[in-house]
Amino acid sequence: MSAARRSANPSREWLRQQTAAVRPWYRGAVCCGLLVGVATLVQMGALAWVVDRVISDGASLETVVGGISMIVAAIAARALAQWGQEVCGQACGLRVKQQVRARLLARLQQLGPVRLASRHSAGLASQLVDQVESLEGYYARFLPQMVLAALIPLIYLAVVFWLNWLAAIWLLIAAPLIPLFMALIGMGAQRLNEAQFQAVTRLSGHFLDRVRGITTLQLFGLAERSAEEVSEVAHDYRRRSLKTLRVAFLSSAVLEFFAAVSVAVVAIYIGFGLLGYIQYGPADQLDLFSGLFILLLAPEFFQPLRTLSQHYHDRASALGAAEGLVALLEPEADEKVAPGRIDGETGLDETPRQLPGAVALDAVELRHRGRERILGPVSLKIAPGEVVALIGPSGSGKSSLLQLIAGFIAPSAGRVRATPTPAIAWLDQRPLIVQGTLADNLRLVAPDASDEALRDALQQAGLQAWLASTPAGLDTSLGERGFGLSGGEGQRLALARVFLSPAKLVLLDEPTAALDPETEREVIAGLTRLAASGRTLIVATHHPTIMAMAGRVLAIEAGRLSAVERPDVSREAHS
Amino acid sequence: MKALLSLRPWLGVLAERRGRLLIGALLMLATLLSALGLLSLSGWFITATAIAAVSAIGYLDVFTPGSGIRFFAVSRTASRYLERLYNHDTILRLLADLRGRVFAGLVTLDARTLARARASQWLHRLTADIDTLDNLYLRLLAPPLVALISVLAFAAFACAFLPVAGIVLLAILLPLGVTATVGCGWWGWRASHRRIDRQERLRTRAIEQVEGLAELTSYRALETHRALWRREEQALIDDQRQLGRRTATGNLVVTLGIQLATLLVLLVGLEAYRGGQVSGPVMVMLALGTLAVSEGLGNLPMAFIQLGATVRAAERLNGQAELKTPLAGDRLTSGGAAPSLVYRDVAVSHGARTVFSDLNLVIGAGRKVAIIGPSGIGKSTLAQLAVSAFDPQAGRVEFASQDIARLAPDSLRARIGYLTQRSELFHDTLAANLRMGNPDASDAELWAVLASVELGAWARSLPDGLETWVGEQGRQLSGGQARRVALARVMLRNSPLVILDEPLSGLDAETAASIKSTLDAWLAGRTALLLGHDRQALPACDDCWRLMPAQTGRVGERCLEKM
Repeated sequence: MSAARRSANPSREWLRQQTAAVRPWYRGAVCCGLLVGVATLVQMGALAWVVDRVISDGASLETVVGGISMIVAAIAARALAQWGQEVCGQACGLRVKQQVRARLLARLQQLGPVRLASRHSAGLASQLVDQVESLEGYYARFLPQMVLAALIPLIYLAVVFWLNWLAAIWLLIAAPLIPLFMALIGMGAQRLNEAQFQAVTRLSGHFLDRVRGITTLQLFGLAERSAEEVSEVAHDYRRRSLKTLRVAFLSSAVLEFFAAVSVAVVAIYIGFGLLGYIQYGPADQLDLFSGLFILLLAPEFFQPLRTLSQHYHDRASALGAAEGLVALLEPEADEKVAPGRIDGETGLDETPRQLPGAVALDAVELRHRGRERILGPVSLKIAPGEVVALIGPSGSGKSSLLQLIAGFIAPSAGRVRATPTPAIAWLDQRPLIVQGTLADNLRLVAPDASDEALRDALQQAGLQAWLASTPAGLDTSLGERGFGLSGGEGQRLALARVFLSPAKLVLLDEPTAALDPETEREVIAGLTRLAASGRTLIVATHHPTIMAMAGRVLAIEAGRLSAVERPDVSREAHS
Repeated sequence: MKALLSLRPWLGVLAERRGRLLIGALLMLATLLSALGLLSLSGWFITATAIAAVSAIGYLDVFTPGSGIRFFAVSRTASRYLERLYNHDTILRLLADLRGRVFAGLVTLDARTLARARASQWLHRLTADIDTLDNLYLRLLAPPLVALISVLAFAAFACAFLPVAGIVLLAILLPLGVTATVGCGWWGWRASHRRIDRQERLRTRAIEQVEGLAELTSYRALETHRALWRREEQALIDDQRQLGRRTATGNLVVTLGIQLATLLVLLVGLEAYRGGQVSGPVMVMLALGTLAVSEGLGNLPMAFIQLGATVRAAERLNGQAELKTPLAGDRLTSGGAAPSLVYRDVAVSHGARTVFSDLNLVIGAGRKVAIIGPSGIGKSTLAQLAVSAFDPQAGRVEFASQDIARLAPDSLRARIGYLTQRSELFHDTLAANLRMGNPDASDAELWAVLASVELGAWARSLPDGLETWVGEQGRQLSGGQARRVALARVMLRNSPLVILDEPLSGLDAETAASIKSTLDAWLAGRTALLLGHDRQALPACDDCWRLMPAQTGRVGERCLEKM
C-alpha cells in the first residue's frame, strides 16, 4: 500500500506489471470476495432478526420462515462466491506463471549459448521452475485479499453505524489503526520472512555443502560426526531465529488482541446498553436484533485483515523470487550498448546470399566489453564441401570463431556471411541428451524422420553395434533416469544427429577432446563419412588425424589466421 | 491406504518429540476454545441482558460474564501468540531432526549411488522433500485432532443443555470432518502425488534448454524442444488447476456444512426454547458456539488435498534409505606398517557394460605403483575399489592380505589417505578443513604441513590465518591452492597406504616440481597407488602400468599394460 508507493522498487513494479494480462480474473476474484462479504452480512442480519423475533416477540418458527430461507440463500451464495474467488484467484496465478515462464524462455534464447555458459544451469532451471512457482500465491491470494481487507470492513462499519453509531465508534477506534496494523503486520512478516529466509538459506547451504562432500567425509571417517554436526547446526539456527520470531509474531498478536478486545467491548457495551445502564448516546435504542447483529459483525470486521496477514508470506516469497527474475530479464550492460547488433550486423540473412554450406568472413573483429581484441581482423572464404581444421593454443579464439560463424555472437566489426537455413550443425564436447527415448533425441533435428532414417544415421555415426546391443532399440530411454551413455556414445549420438539433419555446414568444437583413443577412432571415422557426404566441416581441433583429413589447416595466433602445412600423419594414422 | 505406510518412519521421528507435539496441540486447542468462549459467552450475555430488559427483572449478574468475556479476549490473544511461537520452535526442531536423520542415512551410501544422480538436482529434491515432511505435524496431524477434540467437547457441553442440539452438531460436523480429511486426501491423491515428479521433469527440460542451447539454436530445433517443454508445463499446470478446483470445492462443502450446522442448531434451539426446554441465552450461545467451533475445520481441505505430495516426499526419502549399505565388518588389527594392496580377478561393470574383467594387480608392501591413462578411462574406479566405496561384481581386493569386503569400511579407510580427483573442501575454516585429516593436529602441525605444500607464506599473509573461511566448496581459493590444501589434509592423515589421483593437477610447473620432490620424500615407507594421465605428472614410482581399452571386442572394457 503506502509502502509500495513510497519507492519505485523494481521487483514490486515488475510484480504489478504482470497483472495486466490477468485483469479480468483478478477483478472476478475481488468481486466474488465482495459478494462473500455481502452474503455474510445478510446471513448475520437474518440470523439476528430470527432470534429477536422468536425470543422478544415469541413468534413461532412458521412466522419467521422468510428469515430462515434468507439465511439458507445467503449461506449458499456465500459458499459459491467463495468458490468463485478461489478459482478466479488461481486462474490469475496460473496465467501469470505461464506468461512469466514464456518470457524467461525467450530471454534465455536471446541471451544465447555464449552468455549462458557462465551461468549455473541448475540455478537457472530452479529460477524457471521453482521461483516462478512461488509467484502463484501472490496473484491468487494476496492481491485480491489486499483490496478486500480495505473494502469489506468499510461495508460492515457502515451497517454498524446505521444500527448504532456508538458501537460503530468502538470499531472505528480500531479502524484508523487498520493502516497501522497493515504496516505492523507487513513489518513483522517481512522481518519474519527475512530472518527465516536467511536461516533457511544458510541452513540449506550448510546441508548441501556437507552432502556434496559426503564421499570425502566417508573417506576421512567423519560420517557419523558430521551427521551430529548437521543437526547441531540446525538447532543453532533454530535458537537464533526464535529470537527474531518472538518479536515478529508480536505484531500479529496485536491485531488478534484488537480483534478480541473489540468483540469484548462491543458485547459488554451492548449488554449494559440493553440493561439501561448506559444513559448517553443511542444506547437506549438498542434491542436484541441490533445488539446481536452488531455482535456477529464485530469478528467479521477483522476477519479480512486476519486473512491478509496469513497471506503475507505469499507476498514476501513473490518479492524474493521477483528480485532474481528481474535481474535475469534485465538486459546486460553490453546488450544496451549495442542493441540490435545481433540481428543487424552478423549479416546472416543479408545479400549476397551464400550457397548453403559456404562461409565468408570479411575483416571480422571481436572484442570483449572494452577489453583488447580477441580476434581479427579475419577474412576467410570457405567453399561448400570443404573441410577446414582450426588449430591454435587454448584461449586463442578457435571457439569464438566458430561461435561467430554459428551466429551465437556478433562481430564487433566486419561481417560474417553464412546461410543459417535450413540449419547449421553444431557439435562440441558436451552433447545435448534430452530426457526421452533415443528416437526423441534424434528427432529433435528432424521431427519427420522415419525410423529407417534414424537407424541409418546411427549406423553412419558408428553406433549400430551399440544399437543392436540394446533390447529396446530406438525406444531406449536416455537421460537422467534412463541408463546413461558413455562420453563417446553421447558424442556419436550427436554425430548421428548431424547425419540426420539437413545442415550443409557443420561446426565442431574439439569433438574428440574428452574421449579415449578407441572411441576417438570411431568418432573420427564418423567425421570422415560426414565429410564424404559433401557437407562443409569446420573443426577446431588438436588431433593430427583430423588435421590430416582437412583440406586446409588454419592456425590462429594472436587473433590472426594463417594457413599452415597439413601435417603428414599418414604413418601415425595407420600405426 | 497402503501408500500411507511410507509415512511411518517419519511419524516415528515425530514421536520422539511427542511431549512438545502434545503441548503444541493443547495450545492450538486453547486458542480455538478461547474463540469459542468469547463468541458464545458474548451471545449469551447480550441475549440475557435483552431478556432482562424486556421482562424488567432489573437484576442480572453482569460482572461474572463480563469478566469471562474479558478473560477469553485476553486468553485468545495470548494462546495464539504462544501457539505460533511454540509450534514454530517445534517445526525447526523437527527440521533439525529430519535433516540429521536423512544425512545419517546418506553417509552410508556407496560412491556409486551417490554418483548416479545429477548432484545439484538430487540435492534440491532432497531438501525440498525434507521441507515438505516438516509440514506433516502442523498441517496434517494436529489440526484434525484439535478439531475433533473441540467438536466432541462442545457437543458434550451442548448435550448438557439440549441433547438434540449436541446430536445434530455431531451428526453434521463429524461426517464433515471425515470429508475434509479422508475425502479430500483421496480426491487430491493422484494429482498431488505426481505433481512433484512433474515439476522435476520440467526442471530437467529447463536444464536441457540451457545446456543444449548451442545445438538447439544452430539446428533450429528450439521450437521442437519447446514443444516438449510446453507439454510438461501444461501437464503440471493442469494438475495444479485440478488441485486448486478441488480445494475450492472442498472449502465450499465445508463452509456449507458449518453454516448449515449452525442454522440447524439454532432452529432446534428455537423449537426447544418455545417448548420451554432451554432458555433464550443458552439457545443463542449454542448456535454461536457451533459457528466458532467449526472454525477448526476450515483449513483442512487445503491441507489434505495435498496429502499425496507429502506421501510422495516420504516415499522418495524412504527410497534413499533403502539404498543403504551396511557399515559393519571386522576391525583391522594390523598396526601402522605399510600394507600390500592386491586386486585379484576383479570384475566391475556399470549397468550392462563391463569395465574390468579378471583384473589383477599386486602392489607389494611399501611399493609405489602408477596407473597412467586419459581422464575418464576408469583410474578412479581402481581407487574406489580400494577404499571399499563399492564392491566388485566378482573377485576381491585385499588390504594387507585381508579381503576388504569383510572389513569395516571405517576401519579400512582410517589406514588410507586418498586424494580424490576433485579437491572437496568444505564451507568452513582452513584449520577445520585440514583437521579433517587429523582431528588432534596442533596448530604447529598445521603450519608445518602447509609449508610442505608451499602454502605457508600464503597462509601467513591471510589476516585470519588458519581461521580463514575457504568459502562454499573452497571457492575463495584458487584451483591450485585448493588442490594443495586437499593434499595437505591427506598428508596430515599420515596413513600407511596412500592413493593420489592427479595430485599435481592445476599447479604451475615450478610449484608442481617442488611438491613432487616433497611427495617423493613423504611417500618413503608407505605403499602408494598413483593415478595420472602422464608419468611426468606423478611422483616417482617403482612400477608403472597403462590403463587402456582391452582388445576383447567388448565396448568400454579396460585392461592394464606394463610400461
